[in-house]
Amino acid sequence: MSESLFTQLLDLACGAFLLAAVVVLWRRELAAIVRLFALQGLALAAIALLLGLHEDRWDLIVVAAGIGALRAGLLPYLIRRALATLVTDRAQGQDQAAYTHSEEVRETQPLVNVAASLLTAAALTLLAYAVARPLVELDPTPATRALPVGLAVVLIGFFVLVTRRRALAQVVGFLLLDNGITATAFLAASGVPLIVELGVSFDVLLAVLVLQLLTVRVREAFGTTDIDDLRELHD
Amino acid sequence: MSLIPAALATATGLGVAGAAAGLVLPQRVRGAVVGVLTAGVGVAGGASGVAALGGSRWSAEVPGLLPLAGTHFAVDALSGLFMAVAGAVVAAVAVYGVGYVAGHGAHGLGSRGAQAVLPLFALSLLLVPAAASVSTFLLLWELMALTSLLLVLAEHRARPAVREAAVWYAVMTHLGLVLLLAGFMVYAAQAGGETFAALRSGSGAMSPAVRGLVFVLTAVAFSSKAGLVPLHAWLPRAHPEAPSAVSALMSAAMVNLGVYGLVRVGFDLLGGGPAWWWLLAMAMGGLSAVYGILQAAMASDLKRLLAYSTSENMGLVVLGVGAAGLFDHAGNKALAGLALAAALLHVVNHSAFKALLFCAAGSVLRATGERNLDLLGGLRARMPLTTGLFALGALGAVALPPGNGFISEWLLLQSMIHGLAVPGVTTAIVLPVAVAVIALSSGLAAAVFVKALGVGFFARPRAEGAAAARESPLLMLAGMGLLAALCAALALVPGLLGDGLDRAVEAVGYPGTRPVSGGGLQVRLDEVSAVLSPLWVVATLTVALGAVTATVRWAGRRRQRRTRARLWDCGGGAPTPRMAYTATSFAEPLQRVFDDVLAPEQDVDVTPVRESAYLVERVKFRNRVPDRIEHRLYRPVLDFLAAAGQSARRLAGGSVHAYLGYGFFGLVTLLVVLVVGW
Repeated sequence: MSESLFTQLLDLACGAFLLAAVVVLWRRELAAIVRLFALQGLALAAIALLLGLHEDRWDLIVVAAGIGALRAGLLPYLIRRALATLVTDRAQGQDQAAYTHSEEVRETQPLVNVAASLLTAAALTLLAYAVARPLVELDPTPATRALPVGLAVVLIGFFVLVTRRRALAQVVGFLLLDNGITATAFLAASGVPLIVELGVSFDVLLAVLVLQLLTVRVREAFGTTDIDDLRELHD
Repeated sequence: MSLIPAALATATGLGVAGAAAGLVLPQRVRGAVVGVLTAGVGVAGGASGVAALGGSRWSAEVPGLLPLAGTHFAVDALSGLFMAVAGAVVAAVAVYGVGYVAGHGAHGLGSRGAQAVLPLFALSLLLVPAAASVSTFLLLWELMALTSLLLVLAEHRARPAVREAAVWYAVMTHLGLVLLLAGFMVYAAQAGGETFAALRSGSGAMSPAVRGLVFVLTAVAFSSKAGLVPLHAWLPRAHPEAPSAVSALMSAAMVNLGVYGLVRVGFDLLGGGPAWWWLLAMAMGGLSAVYGILQAAMASDLKRLLAYSTSENMGLVVLGVGAAGLFDHAGNKALAGLALAAALLHVVNHSAFKALLFCAAGSVLRATGERNLDLLGGLRARMPLTTGLFALGALGAVALPPGNGFISEWLLLQSMIHGLAVPGVTTAIVLPVAVAVIALSSGLAAAVFVKALGVGFFARPRAEGAAAARESPLLMLAGMGLLAALCAALALVPGLLGDGLDRAVEAVGYPGTRPVSGGGLQVRLDEVSAVLSPLWVVATLTVALGAVTATVRWAGRRRQRRTRARLWDCGGGAPTPRMAYTATSFAEPLQRVFDDVLAPEQDVDVTPVRESAYLVERVKFRNRVPDRIEHRLYRPVLDFLAAAGQSARRLAGGSVHAYLGYGFFGLVTLLVVLVVGW
């Protein structure tokens, strides 16, 4: 692969990666958000694959395959299953179609509205580029030039965590954050060792399993997954 | 291949093996195996210390052990002195501990956790003086603090007070660590390296302000470890509540390391400094000496009394260290060496007698279940050996001949008195005050230990616990016997330590004055022409005492008839143990004399009979001597922190989004500051 093709493909993957995060802020349906998350997982896998091909490192290619399977396959599947549980619980004795657009599966009232969220995402991306400038200057390769994208996704993921009400939207926010961290690690250090990535992935998987279970339980106990209704839990 | 690395490696191996044994072995054999391994740690570490005192040096770098910095070790005679002391104390206390644990079952010090931590604590005591870089030193220092904290907590199931004491200790020791960390960070950044060698060579080029800052930060941190006023608050709490073997280790080996740090940083690394550093050290030392012994005089709790006495003795040591710095600043190296040697000798002496005293107090506690002197008494007949050992330790602590404490305090006094030859207004004012402080504290110490021994061990038992006391098991007595032998050796032939002490003083750059030399029989000060022969003093005293006793016996025999009769009791019935002289009543005159300093709180509550105001049904009297410095200094800080914590609760409203928002805005603000500030 030639140098310019690698650069273009990498930029394309990074662009898709960032775009997926931004669109998550735009869409309200949880199902669509999960689809976007899966798309972002693919973009992340592509980044890892491109880096592996460019540097002829087979372990990075293995890591890329693993990331793709986990973040574009397994995790979206788990979240979708949780979503389905929520829907079928509520739909017992009700018209299924009437429910699909109910508030449990839509982020109806985020704390910050969609337009402001998109503007904030732009500001956060600018901030990420500004912060990463000295890091890029250390070693300006195509990979490190794309580094701010990872940081921007970290910030956007954090922003989703802060502003979205639904528990599953929060899970996606957490996973966006983690995707951003992984991308930053790949772009800054040209890939992480297999064992580290294995550990991180396992961690994320466990976290999602726990959060999925917790969401369903919260829904059973309180009748909603709006975590702002849980404010009695402090000491 | 020198002895030191082999011995240190052996000690490390034995310590780790001991920790593993404590974790794995069943309770039946745990105490014995861990005790033997810990004693081995002590012997091996002590041997390396003695080798260093004998003149050998060793330094090594182990790069792989710690990430980034690696570990550095170096042993010189100064480290060797502290390692030898710690090793001897650890070995003797470990033997004592085997007997102590045997009767306690699986709780307290005998529990799995405590037995696993004990060898590590012993090991850290020995390795801290061998550290030769900031990161190594701090790591071992923290290991020492954490393991000792866990050991203080060992009996938390039995007494709730243990937890409070442990919290105090944890907070104080970590505040000390923070100061130490800050001081060393400034130092290492300015010196351009974190090994002690780099610090030593870099200190000359630093500005006086930075040097002063480094000294104040580290000196305050080390003074809190040494239990000096006003950072002593943990000491009278943690030492009484820890199991007695641990108290002995902490009081006789751990607090010493505060002094070690002060000497290492102040003299060796920074290479001495302006007069105000040392005046600060002398002020803290003098204050601790007088205040510590005054509080000890008021204490009725035997172990609390010993803990305050530790504060006093460390105060005297730091007074000596400060005087050494002052003399050095004035250019009189010989006197500085003498004062430092006196201080170091007092460290050695204090360790010997204080370990013995704490072990004896632990025996009393084990036999009677009581620490309160008011409820003890009558132990001389029931625990004769423990009483004898405690008396030997007390003799060392009162700084009178023939005790071992006398020699070092005499040296300290000599250096102060002859220090007046150093010109300057400061010395003309400070040194006489220091002499007065030493004299006052040793006078009070005599009263304190007469109280502890006379009220605690003699006369009749004042409570059931004391009446049912039995002599301690053999191993505990053996451990105390080792310490007693050390005390006796230090009292009779301090000259055996002579060359080693000289090398320790030379290690920080002073000419050795050979204060305790002369074939082990004499203490001779060449610079200031003073001679003391401990052995002759002891011989004379023994002969005189024997003569007096014999005369009295002889005179008594001449009177022919001796009849036994009841004590005249004014017709009020036979005197009960409740009427005996207690520790509180013994301390009362002193409390009156120092009324303004101690500010005791007294409550008298009189309840008359209902029918007549003249007939009293009940009188309740309460007397408390609160730690005044602690009250004035710590209470406002604690109150402020509690109020701040309460008002901060408003931030925690319960909304998860708010909590996440704090993090998010914190991060974004930090990044914006970074961007703008670049």
